[in-house]
Amino acid sequence: MTTVKENLRYAKTHEWVEVEGNVATIGITDYAQDQLGDLVYAEAEPVDTEVDLGDLIGSVESVKMASDLYAPVAGTIIESNESIEDEPEQINEDAFGTWFVKIELSDPSQVDDLMDAAAYEKFCEEESA
Amino acid sequence: MKKTPLNERHLALRARMVDYAGWDMPVQYEGIAEEVKAVREKVAMFDVSHMGEVLVSGEGSGEFLNWLLSRDVTGKQKDQITYAILCYEDGGTVDDLLVYEMDDGTYMLVVNAANKDKDVLHINDSIETYRNKFPDRKDEIKVVDDSAHYGQIAVQGPESLQVMLDLAEKLGLNAEQKEQLQGLKRYRQIQVDKEGFERKMIISRTGYTGENGYEIYLPAELTVEVWDLLYDYGVPASGLGARDSLRLEAGLPLYGHEMAEDITPLEGDMGFFVDFSRDFQGGEAMKARSTRKRIALVSEGRAIPRDGYPVFLDDEEVGVISSGSFSPTLGKGIAFALVGKDFPEDATEVEVKVRKKFENFKVIDTPFVKK
Repeated sequence: MTTVKENLRYAKTHEWVEVEGNVATIGITDYAQDQLGDLVYAEAEPVDTEVDLGDLIGSVESVKMASDLYAPVAGTIIESNESIEDEPEQINEDAFGTWFVKIELSDPSQVDDLMDAAAYEKFCEEESA
Repeated sequence: MKKTPLNERHLALRARMVDYAGWDMPVQYEGIAEEVKAVREKVAMFDVSHMGEVLVSGEGSGEFLNWLLSRDVTGKQKDQITYAILCYEDGGTVDDLLVYEMDDGTYMLVVNAANKDKDVLHINDSIETYRNKFPDRKDEIKVVDDSAHYGQIAVQGPESLQVMLDLAEKLGLNAEQKEQLQGLKRYRQIQVDKEGFERKMIISRTGYTGENGYEIYLPAELTVEVWDLLYDYGVPASGLGARDSLRLEAGLPLYGHEMAEDITPLEGDMGFFVDFSRDFQGGEAMKARSTRKRIALVSEGRAIPRDGYPVFLDDEEVGVISSGSFSPTLGKGIAFALVGKDFPEDATEVEVKVRKKFENFKVIDTPFVKK
């Protein structure tokens, strides 16, 4: 069984978002890592990249599948986690503890459009049904 | 969706199931990397009951198949299995298949699940073409799709013979059959009568992993019993995900990727399995229309090539990835690509566009994983 973490926000494309002040930390959910299987490649977009909603912020690949991460909020990437390139398996082990990028928000109100934990859990149940 | 006799076993093992050619099939159980490792280092089993079994029987069927397929099925020992390619008149590829000669002279064609129905149509259409082309030949050819009556389990890996000998004991094979199994050569088969079953059990030393292995064709009702015997002996299940990684690592082509209606066997680098010393359907046409060839690539960095990514040589687009994956055994990205026939023989490096970036790949000889 995969888990959902309280107090995070979630996108339909299976990114989690943790907001502190004006900065959003973003990764992929436990459900997403489980669907992909053993990850063998991961990459986050570099610092200073400006992203709109839905822009590419990272990529993950398992043996059989390639999948992209999309910006659930707009802004500027201020930190990019390079350790995931060397150890993509840490995402499988701890999806909520492994972030890809930190984005300085250009429009904090976009966070309100994301799902809360309960809504995301329901969304995953419907998707896997 | 269609279900194999082993569907409940896959669900009980909590396999991730996918729709594969209309079949509810297990793509992975514990994880693709682990399942690949089991086959490379020990042994694992696959449910391949979705594969089709098409019977071609009656007077003149051997001669007909010789004309229909890229290689002769006659003139060899009875237990010898023929890997051959089925082509359209225009030289495109209908399917690749194995031909087993049964004790009664019937030929059993083992075909890809996704292609089975179109294969049967094509074979029936070709009988008419054959009769018009060779009016002097007499035939009583009959084509029967027998797939629903067979299950199939592949046992693959360095420890597969040991597993098979244990299975033979438990299934009550006689001393002669066990001896045959022990000494069975690659691409040979034995047929075993099972009391109470109309269809025979066939054991062949074949597979799609690059490891030593066996494939067992079973009367459908017997499939679960054999799977359980193997499982109880400790053989882990492996899914279609691992099967695809294993075949690519072994340098084996797959229909829909390196073979297709618009890819001739020559373009897919299947020339070894095409015998031009005799006339066969599509033979002349494929020579005329082949403009590409298949090459093998391995990543120099971390990049993983995927189907459809474009391939560049000296900044010029020269082809496309036909099968691309991460190789769990090598820990690198590997791929087949189809490139123009004039792609230089001495080219050692190409670039593949992986998302936005151009990544370096070495051009190598297959298999990717050498034994």
